[in-house]
Amino acid sequence: MLKKIGTLCVMLTLATLLIVAGCGGGKNKNKVEDKGPPDKPVYKSNGDEGTISGKVSFDGTPPTPKKIDMSQDAKCAAAPGEKTIDDVVVTGGKLANVFVYLKGGPVDSHSFPAASDAVILDQQGCRYHPRVLGIQVNQTFRVTNSDETTHNIHPSPKKNEEWNQMQAQGAPPIEKKFSRAETLIPVKCNQHPWMRASIGVLAHPYFAVSDKDGSYTIKNVPPGTYTVVFWHETLGEQTQSITVAAKESKTQDFTYKAGAAGATPSMQIGPTLVLP
Amino acid sequence: MTYRLNVRLHRFAIMLSCMTVALLVAGALVTSNEAGDSVPDWPLSFGRWLIGSNNFVANVRYEYSHRFVAGIVGVTTLLFAVCVYFVERRGWMRSLGLLALGGVIAQAAIGGLRVLLPEYKALIAIPHALVAQSFFAVIVSMTVFTSRSWFEPHEHRPEGGGVSLRQLSSIALGAVLLQLVLGAGFRHGAIGIAPHIAGAVVVTSLIGVTAALVIRRHRPERYLTRPAKLALGLLVIQLGLGIAAYLARLASANDPQPLEPMISLTVAHLVVGALTLATLVVLALRCHQVVAPRKHEIPESVRAFRSSARGAAA
Repeated sequence: MLKKIGTLCVMLTLATLLIVAGCGGGKNKNKVEDKGPPDKPVYKSNGDEGTISGKVSFDGTPPTPKKIDMSQDAKCAAAPGEKTIDDVVVTGGKLANVFVYLKGGPVDSHSFPAASDAVILDQQGCRYHPRVLGIQVNQTFRVTNSDETTHNIHPSPKKNEEWNQMQAQGAPPIEKKFSRAETLIPVKCNQHPWMRASIGVLAHPYFAVSDKDGSYTIKNVPPGTYTVVFWHETLGEQTQSITVAAKESKTQDFTYKAGAAGATPSMQIGPTLVLP
Repeated sequence: MTYRLNVRLHRFAIMLSCMTVALLVAGALVTSNEAGDSVPDWPLSFGRWLIGSNNFVANVRYEYSHRFVAGIVGVTTLLFAVCVYFVERRGWMRSLGLLALGGVIAQAAIGGLRVLLPEYKALIAIPHALVAQSFFAVIVSMTVFTSRSWFEPHEHRPEGGGVSLRQLSSIALGAVLLQLVLGAGFRHGAIGIAPHIAGAVVVTSLIGVTAALVIRRHRPERYLTRPAKLALGLLVIQLGLGIAAYLARLASANDPQPLEPMISLTVAHLVVGALTLATLVVLALRCHQVVAPRKHEIPESVRAFRSSARGAAA
């Protein structure tokens, strides 16, 4: 009887592996098949671009930052700085680390060459700096390690290739590129589980991340009507509509309410039902 | 042919069973601490078989310890399979030994796939859990088959009316194995918790009914009632741990990192689940050994063979 169970288990395992391999094939086969947009015309500046700027506020009492236990790595425990989580950073009622980007209008109907400079993610004090960043498709993404300990960088995209790479103290920067637009890619260090970051990959350069004073600025915006997306890793995503005239400087503020922050977490118990 | 008890082989099996429990704990710690990808290469670790102390920090401690213990269990299983092959006269025991060896090799390969294909980690984690628990069940069964109590003569007890205990104990064993897989699916984010909760209801019913029937029908037979009572006790503990682990996960959803008591509760829940599986292996095997099968449970070919054998003896 047990031999039968054992044989059945082995067959189940082989079947599962075959299914995984069959469904896998290439590394990106489980990703959303992005056949790429039809060839879009490259955007050419008319000199009539405008600016969108604003402040992101937080209404209410922000959640108390939770403490991080860095004791499992002495180098991290000895690093200077507050040992608290920095997911919701509110200073004087202003919210930092909100990823703001544009959708629709000319940004979706044109293609934009990737910026030549690299976007840098640094590991310092056993944290990622910045916590939220934006990058263009095929722009260079450079990861540096300023700590005296080893980290590993593990982005978990849905549309791009997933990778997981170790970076020792003093190791040369890691350089990668993301080939598909994706908002937003979570990044974590598997050696230090409190280290989190988010990367917004866009096909255009019209994005920004709110500063500590909540301010953001998106420059050189072609005239048109857009959807402005405000994304925060715990407070969620909100949108606003905006129209930018030629050479207009538009202000678009947004306020997150306290109820969304630190809400009672839920866990999905099935395809359709969520328990509190 | 007379088969003899081999005490040393039995002790070897016990030792391997205990080592496997330690390996299950090590694996559970990896998952509960989210350390599964902390060593990005395989089969080496940071390009080496033995890593230095400067690398053995943070979550690497859990992942590397898991690999290290797995390596020891793998080598021990190889030695055990070799011993069984040359010592055992029961052919099917040699086959079980080879099955165990194949299982541990498969488990290593699946673990490697888990590291090398992070984008499929949720899917790969399920066969990794299934093979782990199945391997444990095989080692436990070999422990039973090499035990003194297995070789002692036992009075064949009638099945009695109603549900067949032989079948019920086997079904309960299969249900627990499936429940462990559903738990792994939930732990690794492949499925929601609903199937695991539904499975808990089914497993609780099956273990409860099986144990109750064993105790009621075979009260004087401690050989059967002891594992039945142990299964009931573990079931109660497991239900409590399951509820506690789930509540701990809910409470810690916004924590910056895995923290206590969530880590200990989820690890304990997994390990007690494995021990429940082991207890049901013992119970099912003993039921099949001691409880006489009903006529319709015996294949026609076996019945024909037995009757011709009796006729030849007469």
